This record gives sequence, structure tokens and C-alpha cells, in this order.
Amino acid sequence: MPPTVDYHCPCLSQSTVPPPPHLPSSLHSFHPLHTLFFCEECDAVRCNRCVSVEVSGYYCPNCLFEVPSASVRAEKNRSKSPCFGARCARNCFMCPNCRNTLSVVPSDPPDPGDGRIAIPISTVGEPPFFLYCNHCRWDSAEVGITFEKPTGLAAQLQKFEDSAPDSLEFERLKEHFEPVIRASSLSSSTTANAPAAHPSSAAHSHRLRTNSITAAASAALARDIPGVSKYNPLARSGRGGGGAVGRDKTTNKDEMPEYRSRVDIASASGRGTGGGEADVEYMRHLENVSEVANLEQRWINSWATSLQTADLKPLRIPLHSKRSKRCPACAHILIKPEQKAQSVRYKIKLVAATYLPAITAALPHAQDATNADTAAKRTLGKSTSAAAADDDRGAGGIHAGKTYPFHLALTNPLYDPIQVRLTVQRVHSSASTAAAASEKARRPPFAVSLPSNSFAIAAYAEAWEYDLDDEDDLDEMFGLDDDDFGVAGRVPGREGAKDARGGKAKVVGVLEKKANMTVVGGEVVIGKEARGNVKFNMLVSYTYRSDDPAPSESNDAAEGLTPARAAAAGAGKPPETKTFAFYTVVDLGPIIPREEPRHVDPDF
Amino acid sequence: MDPPIYYSKAEYIETDTGNKVSRRATIAGPQNIILGGKTIISSGAIIRGDLRRTGAGHAVVISLGRYCVVGEGCVMRPPYKTYRGNFNYYPMKIGDHVHIGANTVVEAATIGSHVEIGKNCVIGKFTIIKDCARVADGTIVPPNTVIPALALFAGSPGRFVEDLPESTQETVETQTKRYYTRFQPLDR
Repeated sequence: MPPTVDYHCPCLSQSTVPPPPHLPSSLHSFHPLHTLFFCEECDAVRCNRCVSVEVSGYYCPNCLFEVPSASVRAEKNRSKSPCFGARCARNCFMCPNCRNTLSVVPSDPPDPGDGRIAIPISTVGEPPFFLYCNHCRWDSAEVGITFEKPTGLAAQLQKFEDSAPDSLEFERLKEHFEPVIRASSLSSSTTANAPAAHPSSAAHSHRLRTNSITAAASAALARDIPGVSKYNPLARSGRGGGGAVGRDKTTNKDEMPEYRSRVDIASASGRGTGGGEADVEYMRHLENVSEVANLEQRWINSWATSLQTADLKPLRIPLHSKRSKRCPACAHILIKPEQKAQSVRYKIKLVAATYLPAITAALPHAQDATNADTAAKRTLGKSTSAAAADDDRGAGGIHAGKTYPFHLALTNPLYDPIQVRLTVQRVHSSASTAAAASEKARRPPFAVSLPSNSFAIAAYAEAWEYDLDDEDDLDEMFGLDDDDFGVAGRVPGREGAKDARGGKAKVVGVLEKKANMTVVGGEVVIGKEARGNVKFNMLVSYTYRSDDPAPSESNDAAEGLTPARAAAAGAGKPPETKTFAFYTVVDLGPIIPREEPRHVDPDF
Repeated sequence: MDPPIYYSKAEYIETDTGNKVSRRATIAGPQNIILGGKTIISSGAIIRGDLRRTGAGHAVVISLGRYCVVGEGCVMRPPYKTYRGNFNYYPMKIGDHVHIGANTVVEAATIGSHVEIGKNCVIGKFTIIKDCARVADGTIVPPNTVIPALALFAGSPGRFVEDLPESTQETVETQTKRYYTRFQPLDR
């Protein structure tokens, strides 16, 4: 596996220092760069785990029809299982057996004339029509569902579905609870308005943008379970909430009539709806295991259904959604897709990849090994190289007790040159407790050295400039960028950038500069008893030229959202540069322990 | 930073527009095939441009966009069906920046741009794959399937697994461009 570099998202946590890389929690706070977002307002990285998500449109993944939100919200949405979300109300059905899309076929497939069984694919032919699965050959005629005409299947199926016991029961439930919901939504909408009236932060008022049904649900939860009300976000801030909950208790609880189900559960099993003695009897006489529908085929039903495969009904396809994403702190939009369902363009797209330098890690010795391998393959076993490749099989691994160089390639996505400084995070032993000590013992002992000076990465030029991919052109362009950089690089404390150039022989330092990419070398010394992965946290801080006026910077610093920028402001740097810092975790791969060969030897 | 991928110079033909076509690939009916430029047809691939629509005149059977890669041992075959008693082949259109893994059989009707198809897949007849979708290695996509934009499909039959990140288009574009630059001749 090639080495990976993942980026840290603090997820609104107070401490911006990520967990140590050997802890399992480290996995959850680091993400690949291309999955991250960047909020310009907060000047912070956001990930899919912390952004707030809103549905901006629904579409069917099969017919790609955009379903208006209003009709999705409309009651029931022609869904067989109401609690499992919106379904396509057109002619799209899923095979209950294998979840493939079903096609409508006539009952007399045209004979291809070569004696083979025709696979019906077209909708032209004689009625009755039925639904057919191209993958597992399930067809709806097996379960007695046929159609008079090949269009408007959803409407034709609707009458089957409406008379199903589960949808009847759901109707009844809804009828029963409707007055209760209406009453409690009235009372809690007044509750929700109370705290919003007094001045509060943007994030808070955003949270209160809930509809009456959620309000009713949380009010009901607070009423029925003692102690829950204090965790209720609606009731948390202010006496108004508490009062309303108290009022709910007196009004609603007593008025709730007892619900009686449509079918008595004790007698239900006898009517083919599954459960009880009938199932036991069925299982006893089972001859083939595939006669029983497996759990996956049954569990999306909201109602206990028959166990038999023969009773599976075609499923409506669940709708997919396009989602817009907001920053959790300032509620600014980070992702806003275009309305058209199959468009991959976005009206707003603030992804981290356009702000942070992309970092890729590589182990030169592993690459050499694979190169030798492929070269050997290409030359079809020309004596020398093949023998060499055979000799150092497993040369790509990291062995304990050795020292390896590694390369980090940083690519600048900005239109201005940047200055980058890399620091390996020291695993801070905050307390000398026994736990910390034992952790220390378990941690793979390896030492990482990185260039301590800051170095420059040239600005990103439009891709078409590279498209010529002429080496001379590249060099020229890159030379120009460097000159540009010389001007910007006069800011004090950055002299270290250029002196490392040309020193190709050394391991630690800047190794290569090409267009907007700079390759730096590092070195890792693996301890003798090391095991686990070579995985370390690395702080990347970069300085860039900013277009913002100085006051905004001091504002941000005051907010305390980015300590890095606050530090930059404090250091009295010229206002036209800014520093942003983020953590990454570099995983160079597993260490091959020393003992392994010794263990193998006695066996032979 | 990534090492070049070398190929033997004798094996590949490079066209004016930068297409690189292996001499070991089987290209049937080349007059019916369009390559957009900077597209690589690897060795052992079979492209059936000869399976054209019946009727007179020139017909484009398979068209590929720019920066595509047809992997080793791939089979690209236009879909066919019998409609109102007439057997016919239908054209296959593939967008830009599409990578198709080794030993995959493609009978799709349309493949959008920035699509990644893994190795050892079967893409059934008349499949429609929208932009920026991804098909994992070893997926069997049954005929007539629609794969929506930015979806990852996997399994047999191929099913929706997850939505891909918003930056997929850029990621795939840089990857395919880089692959083309890395794909270098070796004189030996």
C-alpha cells in the first residue's frame, strides 16, 4: 500500500491539536484532502462529519427524474414502507431478490430464431406485461403481479399497495395521532419562538429552524421521559421552554386516547402476514434454503412479512438527494449544487483542495523496488534486471532497525507563491501517569526528521500552460515563478528557502522544484524493536499573500478560531501575508519486525 | 513525483492528436471509431468498431473522448437489441477522462466524463453511466442499468454504495492527465 497523507479536521473542537496517531480516535479526525471543505469566513477546515447538510433536491437514481420537494413531502409519497423515506413514484422498480432495476416485458418475447431463450428487453408485445429482472431472472408474474399496459405501472400497483395491511395500519396510526401532533405543534411553536426572540448567535438561531413536527416530537420526549427536557435544545436556553413543557404535561397526556391496531396481532399469523405458528410450520417443511427470503430481502419492510421468497413484491426505488452543505460554526454555504439532478457543477464549492497544499508521500526505496520489478517484466526477463529484482524481494518494506528516506511532494493550489514550514508533532506526555508510560512503551519507536527551514512553493498556473508538457517550457515557467518568488521572499525569516536547492545528494531538505510542486526529503529512523505503522502527525503551516484588508485579520484573531493566524498577527508580520496551519497524519506503512525471519527459520 | 509508466516504443502507435494505440490491441472497423486525443488503448484490448448499425452511410460506432484509457484485455462492444423485429447495433459514446480497468467488458450505451471503471467488470448492454461516477473493481452491472452522477457502484449486481465527494471531477481530471504524462516510451 502506498504511503498516505490525511488532513485533520478539528470538527469544532476547542483544541486544535489532533489526537496522537497511534490512538484509534486518530482515524476519525483525519480525512483525505479531497473530501474536506474550507470555510472562508471562519478560515477553517470542515469535514463531512461536522458540516450541516440540507437537501436541495430529490431525484430518482434510475429514471433520473427530478422530484419536486413538495411532492416528496406530500403525504406517504406512494411509498410502500412509509418510514423508509421517499420512493420514485414513476415506473421504476427494484428486484426484491437482488436489488437490480426491473424492466417491463411483454408475455410473448419475440423468438430470436436461433433456438436460444430470448431475453426479453423491449416493451413492445402482447399483454399481460410483467416486471423482469435482467440479473437474477426474477419476474413479477411469479408473485401474481401482471399489468394490462406497459405504462403507468406505479398507478396500477398502487391499488395492491394501498390494500396491504401495513399501509392500512399506517393510515390508521396517522389518523389517530394527527390531532395530537396538531395540538402539540401549536404549543411548541410558541416555545420555539421564545428563546429566538432575545439576541443569540447565528448558529443558535440556525438550530432553532426546526419544523413543528420535530418540535412536537421533542416536546413529547421531554414530557414522557423525566430529565430529558434539560438536554432539549429548544428548552435549554430560557425559562420559556420549561414552562411550555410543563403545560404539555397537563394538556396532552390526559387527552391521548388509547390506540387499537386494525388487526389483532394474535390472529395475524394465520392470515399469511407471517409470524407465529404458521412460520414454524412452514420452516419445518422447508426443502430448499432459497425458499426463505433472507434478512436483507425482508428487513426494509416496515411490517413483519411472510418468510417465503415467493411472496416478495417488487420494490419502489428510493430517491436520492442532492445536498448543500453549510459551515457548522457560521452557517455559510460551503457546497451548493446546481439544480439539475445530473449536473456535476456547483454554484458554490469551497473545497479544501483549492486552499491547502496537497501533500503526497513516497518512499523512494519502495518505488525503486517496484520500478525494478516492472522493468524486469517489460523487458521480459532480460537476465540482469530480473535477477536483481528477485534478489531484493520485499525491498519495498520498512524493516525495523533501519533508516529510510522519504519524500513529501507539496503542490500549491493558490495563484500566489507560498512559504511552507513542516513540523513533526511531538507526542506530548502531558502527565507522567502509568497509562501514559505504558502507551509510550507500545508506541512504535521511530524518529522522523524533516527540513526545519521553511521553503517556497511556486504559484499555480492554469493547467493549459502545462498541457504542452514540453520540458523546456516547464523549466522556463518555473524559473519565472522563482524570480517572482524572490520578491515576495524578502519578508524576514524566510531566507532558508532557496539555499537547499541544488543539494540533490542530501536526504533531508528541498529536493526538487517543478512548477507549483516542491518535493522535500525527510528521514525516518526505525527503532530495533519497532512494530506497527510508521505514522506521525505533521503540522503544516504556510504563509500566503492575502487580499483581505488588515482589520478582518485582527477580527478573526479575536474570535480565536485559528490560533495560527492569531500568532501571525501577533508577530507583527506585514498585513499582506497570512499564515494558516493545519495538521496532517503521514502513514508511511507498516514496519516489518525483525523477529519475523527468525520465527520462520525453525519451521523449515 | 510519480514515476513514469514505461511502454515499449515499438509496441505503440502514436497519432497526431496524441492517442497511443497498442499494436497488440484488436481494432475492428477503425473507420467507425473516434478517439478524442491523448487516449491510450492498451495491449490486448478489443474494440469492435465493425459492429455498426445496418443501413447505408458512415456510422460512428464507438467514440471515446480525451484522456481516456482502455485497459489491457478490455472488450468494447456496442450494445445490440431486436426492436420491432429488426436486429441492430447501437452506438457507444464515451466522454473525456474515462479510465476503464483491465479485462473489463463494456457494452454500455453512454458513459459520461470523469468516469472510473475498475478492472474485471462487466458493464451490461445499454447501461448509462453519468458523469463522475465510479464502478469498483469486479462489479457486474446488469443490462439497462442507470448509474447516476457522482455515485459509486459495486457488487454483483452492481448497486449504489455511496456518493462520491464534490471534488471528484477535479481529482479524476488531474489523475487522468497525470497518467497520460507518466505513460512514456522506452527505447529497447
